[in-house]
Amino acid sequence: MSLPPVFYHYFHTPLPYARTLALQEKLHQIQLAARRASSHQDLLLLLQHRPVYTSGRRQTTDELAAERARLTHIGADFVETARGGQLTYHGPGQLVGYPLFDLARTSPPMGIREYVCRMQRMIQTYLSSEHGIRGVPSEHTGIFLDGTTKIASIGIQVRHRLTTHGFAMNVTKEPLRWFDQVVACGLADVKAGCIELATGKPVQVDDVIGGVVAAFGATYRRDMEKLRVESAGEVGEAIKALEDESLAAGEWPKYPTTD
Amino acid sequence: MFTVIRSAAHARSSFSWRAIPPSSVARRVPANYRTLVTTKYTKEHEAIVFDDATGVGAVSITNHAQKSLGDVVFVELPTIGSKVGKGEQIGAVESVKAASDIYAPVSGQVVEVNERLNDEPGLLNRSPEQDGKSCLNA
Repeated sequence: MSLPPVFYHYFHTPLPYARTLALQEKLHQIQLAARRASSHQDLLLLLQHRPVYTSGRRQTTDELAAERARLTHIGADFVETARGGQLTYHGPGQLVGYPLFDLARTSPPMGIREYVCRMQRMIQTYLSSEHGIRGVPSEHTGIFLDGTTKIASIGIQVRHRLTTHGFAMNVTKEPLRWFDQVVACGLADVKAGCIELATGKPVQVDDVIGGVVAAFGATYRRDMEKLRVESAGEVGEAIKALEDESLAAGEWPKYPTTD
Repeated sequence: MFTVIRSAAHARSSFSWRAIPPSSVARRVPANYRTLVTTKYTKEHEAIVFDDATGVGAVSITNHAQKSLGDVVFVELPTIGSKVGKGEQIGAVESVKAASDIYAPVSGQVVEVNERLNDEPGLLNRSPEQDGKSCLNA
């Protein structure tokens, strides 16, 4: 029995984080309900965010209070989440991917370690085959160019074997100036890297979508199909609503405000 | 502080039954009274060991679950005294940057949690169904 395709959608406009989190929640609930009738789809959302710092499950509101104040002051949003991992940055120039997967589609279900391991391999495969970038292995989850340069991060939440959140990969230099403002992922001596600096060639997020989708399909052994938003029912409507909202939100800060 | 369940005098269980360490809290049971301790598993990650003599069930994650999760770095435990319904979220386990929610296998009230997990989350990998337990009074 072969598995159904994964439906992917790329948002062209950077999205506000909190509203995207709400979209993930909505799609998660739709999947949970539809799973009873086995009519749920696996989805891959590909996007950029407007500048935002996010924290993970382990971090409490109290311990984040000072950082939250500092970082919103420099022009970014700040949102606490229930995903794994710690503080990180998302913003234009960085590709974010949210696979909304049912790990129990296979029997036995895909374990979380396996799911995360494949996500890492997917990014590594994409970087080496499309850009000739080879990283180094690390005990830390994520993709490292060398011991102190991290080019991609992973942070997942799993509920009833349905996944939310996902991965983030720096494409242009733009995210780096924002990463420099924090200690990301709890790693004090690690700085952010990006494809543009690693290859020395200009590249845009729009350019990487095709290659990432292909790498995803190959690593997870699934057919990838473009989601037709107009005919995708509730899922399509929710996606369209967020896109319209993001277009209306206008420009975002290109640099942190440091005074 | 562990959640410990008295071992049954006569265990009568057709599915897997684990040896439980003897209780450090003495609880007198009449000699001719047979207690029944059973282990049940949910469809997801959780196992519950229920002692019908005390009405207390100890909730843990299964050995299979901890293997598929990887090294546990953080455990989110419920508050003592909180009431949970069957299937409701009761905590979470984080490993390899993935936070996996844990659900209550039965309804009840949390009477004890395994505080050791705050400092030693890796205990869930080493002894998932013994030392790594939290506790639910069904």
